[in-house]
Amino acid sequence: MECFCLTQKVGVVGIGHAKFGKRTDATIRELAHEATIPALEDVGITTADIDASVIGVANEALAAQVSPGALLQDYAGLGNKPMFRVEAACATGSAGVQTAWSLIKAGLAEVVMVIGAETMTHVGAPVATEWMARACDTRWEYPFGITFPGSYALMATRHMHEFGTTRMQLSMVSVKSHKYGAMNPYAHLQKEVTLEEAMKSVPICQPLNLYDCCLISDGAAAAILASEEKAKKITDTPVWITGLGSASDTMMISERPSLTGLVASRLAAEQAYKMARVTPNDIDVACTHDCFSIAEIMSYEDLGFCKKGEGGKFIEEEQSYIGGEVPTNVDGGLKSKGHPLGATGVSMTVEITRQLRGEAGKRQVNGAQIGLTHNVGETGQYCFVHIYTR
Amino acid sequence: MKFGYTSWLPQTDLMVKFTEALKQGKLMGTKCKKCGEKYLPPRAHCRCGSHEVEWYEAPTRGKLFSYTLVTFPPDSMTKYAPYIVAVAELEDGSRLLAHITGVSPKTLQVGLPVQVVPHQISEDRIAYKFKPEQTTV
Repeated sequence: MECFCLTQKVGVVGIGHAKFGKRTDATIRELAHEATIPALEDVGITTADIDASVIGVANEALAAQVSPGALLQDYAGLGNKPMFRVEAACATGSAGVQTAWSLIKAGLAEVVMVIGAETMTHVGAPVATEWMARACDTRWEYPFGITFPGSYALMATRHMHEFGTTRMQLSMVSVKSHKYGAMNPYAHLQKEVTLEEAMKSVPICQPLNLYDCCLISDGAAAAILASEEKAKKITDTPVWITGLGSASDTMMISERPSLTGLVASRLAAEQAYKMARVTPNDIDVACTHDCFSIAEIMSYEDLGFCKKGEGGKFIEEEQSYIGGEVPTNVDGGLKSKGHPLGATGVSMTVEITRQLRGEAGKRQVNGAQIGLTHNVGETGQYCFVHIYTR
Repeated sequence: MKFGYTSWLPQTDLMVKFTEALKQGKLMGTKCKKCGEKYLPPRAHCRCGSHEVEWYEAPTRGKLFSYTLVTFPPDSMTKYAPYIVAVAELEDGSRLLAHITGVSPKTLQVGLPVQVVPHQISEDRIAYKFKPEQTTV
């Protein structure tokens, strides 16, 4: 292979998405298949055209399969091709996209399939919460029964204390998520909720209640990435990945100077904006990591959509709705679409690709040219920000 | 002596020393002999790369930095729920995460003066916890 890689762009050429939900009819292999076949059909190629794959599954216990990459590689018909399995907690899917981008850029492959998949519902919510809680520091924080909702609740308490963010503003995020999730045929919960319902739902970790928390879902998504030269040959609608950023943070959240934002989000965003030569004002549509309502509010601030402390106002003024400053999570987000850990980052890539192609139907942001994905693992121990252009 | 409500990690030298001191009412952190960085909770190695750390006694007074009432616990914590997980900032600026007891969730607020005290959970389990600071009239 001649190496034009350093000067070539990398694009998304094919996308596929399984129905997210409580999928008692499928295990992780069938879910992944439900995403990979449409991705191949989308671009009109077969597995013979794929040079390598990157497979993202966050949790082996939830997948009920140790080394799930090997299983999904084989089941997808990718046979003897190079395969990498990545793990970055809830940001696993985006770690997969960035790994695939890097393989192509390095000249090791021209066409790479990224598969993100997770099963969660079969173990039930308490056990799924337990497995995710074990991603907190197991010596000093997990032994106190801190959970992911609990960690983000500590941030919400602080955000409300420092900036006057309100209970109602938190619920407004959920109302928006459900409004758009109701229009997304792949979403787990396709129903709208009222502000009153969202505010009065069952407490989980105060101040967060049920409607502030993302769903425990099963699902998969797939994206095929290709080098510029190859992409131009196989599709008329490539979506280019023009900026990438990633960063990490301390394992213990009690060690962080601030709990009102994620340092990793800010650092990853800075890198991605700089590389893509754009600013937050240029973003037409975004998928940000709304595992909890407070997480979406912090994402507006960390990504520069609004000033620090004004995230609550941003949602209250409907600036993250279609028609607002930066339409955010108009696929329903993790909250309504669902958050099958490994699938989420790839699902974000699928949504932004759809939006930039103009194929998002009722949820289309008219004329969207530049999109952004922001995918957080744990409480910011992993973060990936990617920028996409038509 | 195991640390915390739920854990399965093997007892390292660091944890044996930490829990023994905690049982005596002392909250111990470690300080790097090379760069001076302090760690509470303690670490056996410094982030600067040094493995030479010494123990120091940390302050036990501080203020509530954040908190949450956990009503939906992970599977392993069901029997303790509901409980309040809090982060407190101690007098030297270091922060700890632990439960807080002796206070109603409704009256909790950021900035509440708290003390760190040992908490014997069961015969073989110990942790620290926060309680509102005793005010002398």
